[in-house]
Amino acid sequence: SSATSKPVVHQPHLLENSWTFWFDTPAAKSKQAAWGSSMRPIYTFSTVEEFWSIYNNIHHPGKLAVGADFYCFKHKIEPKWEDPICANGGKWTANYPKGKSDTSWLYTLLAMIGEQFDHGDEICGAVVNVRGRAEKISIWTKNASNEAAQVSIGKQWKEFLDYNETMGFIFHDDARKLDRNAKNKYVV
Amino acid sequence: DGSGSTAKKYSRDFLLKFAEQCISLPEGFEITADIADVLVSANISNSRDSH
Repeated sequence: SSATSKPVVHQPHLLENSWTFWFDTPAAKSKQAAWGSSMRPIYTFSTVEEFWSIYNNIHHPGKLAVGADFYCFKHKIEPKWEDPICANGGKWTANYPKGKSDTSWLYTLLAMIGEQFDHGDEICGAVVNVRGRAEKISIWTKNASNEAAQVSIGKQWKEFLDYNETMGFIFHDDARKLDRNAKNKYVV
Repeated sequence: DGSGSTAKKYSRDFLLKFAEQCISLPEGFEITADIADVLVSANISNSRDSH
């Protein structure tokens, strides 16, 4: 309980990194369009206050249209395999039933922007994929071959989410070549 | 953590304290037609206590 009712909104809390929200609209997706061509940045924020101003005004995963992809990536890193910083990376993925990922998505964002990962420098960003029967949250990292860093991120993320299932790490390079047949390189 | 890191670290509980203070969209935020479908309707504050 606070002794004063005066809000402190005029003292913004700077984040260690600036982050950009990206959105990929399902309406704009078609088989003809190249993947990622409908993806666009929505807003870049660098303070705690700006984060909430955006987060409080956007739909959370459970309310997004099926097919939507919503990203939060470090500023200047594009959420694409082709981005040079992502090219040698990979991703950890947590799976949720439809409509059940909202809290985990928020906790993922807060852990990233609050720099709660010991290997936070390894993180590119996170994405939530809204699909017909499920929602999937992934954290993208930079150097997939750095096993110690990836495993540390995976273990910490599971703790932050209180996630009890097994979580797998897939190299972007394998996903690019093998698509759905890409196998987990690390498991936590 | 004793590592001497200068990183600005914020715990989840600390960050959550600011959630209720930052309700309005940032100044200068442009709602273009193609992102309007990600945004909650403008009168979000009215729908908050409907639970």
